[in-house]
Amino acid sequence: MELLEPEILLQMLINGLLAGALYALLAGGLNLIFGVMRVINIAHAEFMLIGAFGAYVLFNVFGLHPLFSLLIIVPIIFVVGYYFQRVLIERVVDRPMLTSLLATYGVSIILINVGLLIFSSDFKSVPVLQGSFLIGDLAVSKPRAVAGLVSLVLSVGVYLFLDRTRLGKAVRAVSEHAQVAQICGIDVRQIRMLTFGMAAAMAGAAGVMLSIIYSFWPGSGVDFIQKCFAIIIIGGMGNFVGALYGGILLGVVESFVGGFISTQWAEAVAYLLLVTVLLVRPTGLKGVARA
Amino acid sequence: MKSRFSLSFLLSILLFLFASPALTQNNEIHVGTSVALTGKYARTGQEQLQGFQMWVEEVNERGGLLGKKVHLIHYDDESKPETGAKLYEKLITDDKVQLLIGPYSSDVTLAASTIAEKHNFPMVSSGASSSEIWARGYKNIFGLYTLADLYMDQIIELGKSKGLKKIALVYENTAFPRGVAEGVKRKAKELGMQIVFEEEYGKASTDFSSMIIKIKAKKADMVIGGSYLPDSTGFMRQAKEARLYAKIFAFAVGPGLPDFGHNLGLDAEGVMGNTQWEPTLKLPGAKEFAEKYKVRHGHEPGYHAGGGYGAGHVLEAAVKKAGSTDRDKVRAALFALDTVNAFGRFKVDATGKQIGKPAYAVQWLGGERHIVLPEEAATAKVFYPFKDWNKR
Repeated sequence: MELLEPEILLQMLINGLLAGALYALLAGGLNLIFGVMRVINIAHAEFMLIGAFGAYVLFNVFGLHPLFSLLIIVPIIFVVGYYFQRVLIERVVDRPMLTSLLATYGVSIILINVGLLIFSSDFKSVPVLQGSFLIGDLAVSKPRAVAGLVSLVLSVGVYLFLDRTRLGKAVRAVSEHAQVAQICGIDVRQIRMLTFGMAAAMAGAAGVMLSIIYSFWPGSGVDFIQKCFAIIIIGGMGNFVGALYGGILLGVVESFVGGFISTQWAEAVAYLLLVTVLLVRPTGLKGVARA
Repeated sequence: MKSRFSLSFLLSILLFLFASPALTQNNEIHVGTSVALTGKYARTGQEQLQGFQMWVEEVNERGGLLGKKVHLIHYDDESKPETGAKLYEKLITDDKVQLLIGPYSSDVTLAASTIAEKHNFPMVSSGASSSEIWARGYKNIFGLYTLADLYMDQIIELGKSKGLKKIALVYENTAFPRGVAEGVKRKAKELGMQIVFEEEYGKASTDFSSMIIKIKAKKADMVIGGSYLPDSTGFMRQAKEARLYAKIFAFAVGPGLPDFGHNLGLDAEGVMGNTQWEPTLKLPGAKEFAEKYKVRHGHEPGYHAGGGYGAGHVLEAAVKKAGSTDRDKVRAALFALDTVNAFGRFKVDATGKQIGKPAYAVQWLGGERHIVLPEEAATAKVFYPFKDWNKR
């Protein structure tokens, strides 16, 4: 069978890793929010699309390459996310889960419809970095390679921030136990704002990367957010590193299932993985059981 | 006294409110439709609606239907069959429309036509071409489009004449793309060509890279897609990224639309597809419609807009022939009709299936799409073979 030739397997692996890195960046932010404030942000994929449409506008109005617009969009979305947390999310933290679910679901609907008003339902794309790098018989898509690498760098950056800096430690402390963190003198509210801003910025960056790979429209978020839910459960709810593992795992498995079975099956993989992980390790790959 | 006055005032307003629908229905004919304004088929659905709206305007300028003003009621079915079915139920039972136009896409039409059939309500279908729709023995669904089965015939014949043998076939897992795929398989068998790769994908698929790797391994001469706009665009983009090469690339729907060229730029060059209609066809009123449409919407109409406009004309011709909007009379008129309008010939067989309209193949050449087959309608010569990615 020609599919078992090494270069084809390698090709699938690379495609999967690159797609997985993008998933990881998106799901990482979602999980960070959940970890720190126990809020599932249903509007997360819409923040991603703000990034994508931002890149689209900057490209079409100023001719700005998405890699440069990353430098503009990411800080803006960070600030938006930072204050958005203060204005809306802070009010639903510590409320029953359903309250925050409904609130963010509402935000998602509003954002989608504002998007439809401004951009209509046409599919948009940013035609840069087309074609591929050829390494022998291997063709690595330029936009995917760039998007995958940028996503990876950003995710690792956020990881190092969380792991190495004082502020990052504070974020982890709040995630672990908000009250104890408060007693230790950490400004928990500030940390929550910071976390949400950071997560929104990550989603925005993922959106800019998405804009160079796929066509998108204001309703594109649904497919991504569903996969993200699966990823964070696979990786472990609230665990940032877990989401990275989960994202990459999903990307790779999707690619191989698409190759060996069919693309239709690849779309169901997220949920099959989800069920498998829940059966074998209910807390997810990196999760810990919580009371 | 004062309160009595306000009460009677209120009552009269209420009376007016209740009476008004009946009043307007007497001098207006209500036509109902649902089209995709959001979701995957949004782009094409919108065009269909815009074309139809232009017919509504024009028919009202001409003095309306049977001397009555035509009023359009339309909803957004979100590209979902189940929503479409609900909306047609609402149009028929709640809005009590007198005439029906079908939705866009074969799968939404499959669902909507079941509702129309249940109410025994004739429906002119503009945006559907899967033969499955007419294989159910229904008596109320009348197609405008050339059938999906025939979409790729000319292109496969072209491949055969160039000595090609291996076809890779990919298609979405819904009614119309499957219809196209059935047609491809039938034609390939007829001509003794081989389908070396076949795979379905979901409606939400955006990533075709795994499929492309496999097609590459099979070394297909022709890649044919039973697709819509977003998937055909995505596929070509990823085909370039993965350096997938074939002598002919052909897709349903996508390449027939201006957006295909906008989104892909130079990469659209040489890609073939189908069209139900082009403004360049020599049909009565086609040119005028295209010019007017372009002024209004800022771009050339694709065939979906033409179809919407044509559906209006078919409905008009049928109602005129029937002399009323009575369902039975309109149905009989639609079965008997043989007419040519700006969209082409309309003639159906005993199942309501379109048999009068030919298929056209298009190709992107020099940043424009041209009809290349059949020769009598062609505006340019076929460019063959597809230029390899590294020679562009």
